Amino acid sequence: MAVFTPQIEEKIEHYLQRYETRRSAILPILHVIQDEYGWIKDEHIKELDEKFQLHRVHVQEVATFYSMYRLKEPKKFRILFCDNVVCCIMGAKQTMAKVQEYIVAYEKAGKDCPFSLEGVPCLGVCDGAPAMLINKDRHLKINPDNVAEYMERYAPLP
Amino acid sequence: MGDTITKVKILTQYEGMSNSRSLSTYKEHGGYEALAVALKKSPDEIVSIVKDSGLRGRGGAGFPTGLKWSFVPKTEGKKYLLCNNDEGEPGTFKDRYILELSPHMLIEGMIISAFAVGAQKGYVYTRCEFFDEIKWLDDAIKEAYEAGYLGKNILGLGFDFDLDQYQGAGAYICGEETGLISSLEGKKGQPKLKPPFPAVSGYLGCPTVVNNTETLSAVPWIVKNGSDAYRAIGTEKSPGTKLFSISGPLKNPGVFEVPLGYPMMKLVEEDAGGLLEGEELKAIIPGGLSAPVLLPEDVKDLTLDYEAIAASKSMLGSGAITIIPKRQCMVELLKLIMDFYHHESCGQCTPCREGTGWITNILEGFFDKSATVDDIDQIYAICQQMAGRTICALSDAAMPTVGIINKFRDELVSYIERGTERERFSYI
Ligand SMILES: Cc1cc2nc3c(=O)[nH]c(=O)nc-3n(C[C@H](O)[C@H](O)[C@H](O)COP(=O)(O)O)c2cc1C
Ligand code: SF4
Ligand code: FES
Repeated sequence: MAVFTPQIEEKIEHYLQRYETRRSAILPILHVIQDEYGWIKDEHIKELDEKFQLHRVHVQEVATFYSMYRLKEPKKFRILFCDNVVCCIMGAKQTMAKVQEYIVAYEKAGKDCPFSLEGVPCLGVCDGAPAMLINKDRHLKINPDNVAEYMERYAPLP
Repeated sequence: MGDTITKVKILTQYEGMSNSRSLSTYKEHGGYEALAVALKKSPDEIVSIVKDSGLRGRGGAGFPTGLKWSFVPKTEGKKYLLCNNDEGEPGTFKDRYILELSPHMLIEGMIISAFAVGAQKGYVYTRCEFFDEIKWLDDAIKEAYEAGYLGKNILGLGFDFDLDQYQGAGAYICGEETGLISSLEGKKGQPKLKPPFPAVSGYLGCPTVVNNTETLSAVPWIVKNGSDAYRAIGTEKSPGTKLFSISGPLKNPGVFEVPLGYPMMKLVEEDAGGLLEGEELKAIIPGGLSAPVLLPEDVKDLTLDYEAIAASKSMLGSGAITIIPKRQCMVELLKLIMDFYHHESCGQCTPCREGTGWITNILEGFFDKSATVDDIDQIYAICQQMAGRTICALSDAAMPTVGIINKFRDELVSYIERGTERERFSYI
């Protein structure tokens, strides 16, 4: 089976033509792959090397340097919680503890929890601190009392 | 020099307008008029206007913009203009506001700036977590192409310029201009040793100007209204307006455009509505996380301009003002700051990579009660070895650390002596 769908191959070709060098296309192409497949698999990197002449070493260098890229199979909902200064002053750590409790409660029900939690640096929305992203959705003014409501919208406790 | 209190809206002209991001709204209120003016002048004239205006880089370093432009060699060949829209300095969210209000102002500013420095191609490098903002700017670039503001023979005046947006992938160091260039070349975002400066050898070895989003967005107003009009705002050495992003426990946190030289406490108490009920001011970080912290008595009469804040031994930086409330433990704050820099150090330089890690380890000792008062001096000594000895200025992260030790030494000492129990959270 082909590694990439024809639509994804077309996007890859588009980015390879778009910049001054093919190498500049690596970041955008990895975004495309991650958006489509959820993460970047070894077979993707291999295919980029063999079929699209993007050197494996170059792709690997980018994929591992930047924190947005996922090299392991992710949970369905990836929570990126800002744990930088403003959000912490406004209660980020206490709120993240509640997120963790939700995840534990989910797992206690014997189900695989669809959420993962990571602390990330300032998201550039400190006027809405504490802030978090669930996949590509931005949520602001999250606190220990309301965070479970946000999570329920994605996946209610079983 | 001018009235420092009257507010002039330059970057926030479109505040409160419906569809402010659309080309039609932008044009209705004078958008793209500066471009027509600019393209009828010579590039050198534009550089002079911007030089005379006294505009300084809004990305953090405050370098005079026109002067930077004049370093670009006047040779034939490919040149690039890059907009630094990576906005990663903790506490900073002003460039986001420009994209939210008027992406066309940035585009117009970039076309004029590219004309001034002789660049045929431009990129806006935007942090990838700005999902909506990226879309808004992409839409605006598309509109600008369709209307003939981008591409070949712009406005029929013979200038060609192409503009594209590039997304980062979650690395603070890509906000450093040479790290940004490495990233745009499809590599790890590692900064490069200067000289050569990007103006001489930048993206793919070509002359490259890197400017912040806010800097570039101020250019259309300056070209249209003239350098004297810009100089009439702000102070003599810090002319013009600046966006300040102010956050923390405030009634009305947000982005405010004020003339440079504006009183800090007026911004805190009037524009940002003052602190929330029950909160009391302990300290202020005046220019993004890299700026040393100031005490309430330091900021009482402080004005928001490059010189006044430098004189108070901190810096205006990116214009991000963070309010630290009384209840905030300074050891925790220091740990947050150092964790951030340790995590974001790209690892090329030993003082930065090892220094940030070493300090975080020492701070761990504060929490497990193994720290002694000598450790404070140890941190201080490490900081002296970090600043100014590395490829880029991330290592100057030592500065806020020294700032906290200088201003809050007693609190750090008493934390150690008390053997304070730290609140631990389960997610770590
Ligand atoms: C570690 C580090 C991070 C930086 N992050 C940013 C940033 O996010 N945005 C920005 O405009 N400048 C940032 N800068 C400053 C840039 O290197 C550069 O000075 C700036 O983009 C120049 O534009 P200006 O002259 O218009 O300010 C950073 C610098 C350092 C050392
Ligand atoms: S100072 Fe730090 S972040 Fe900057 S280049 Fe050196 S190691 Fe990288
Ligand atoms: S500190 Fe959390 S968004 Fe800026």
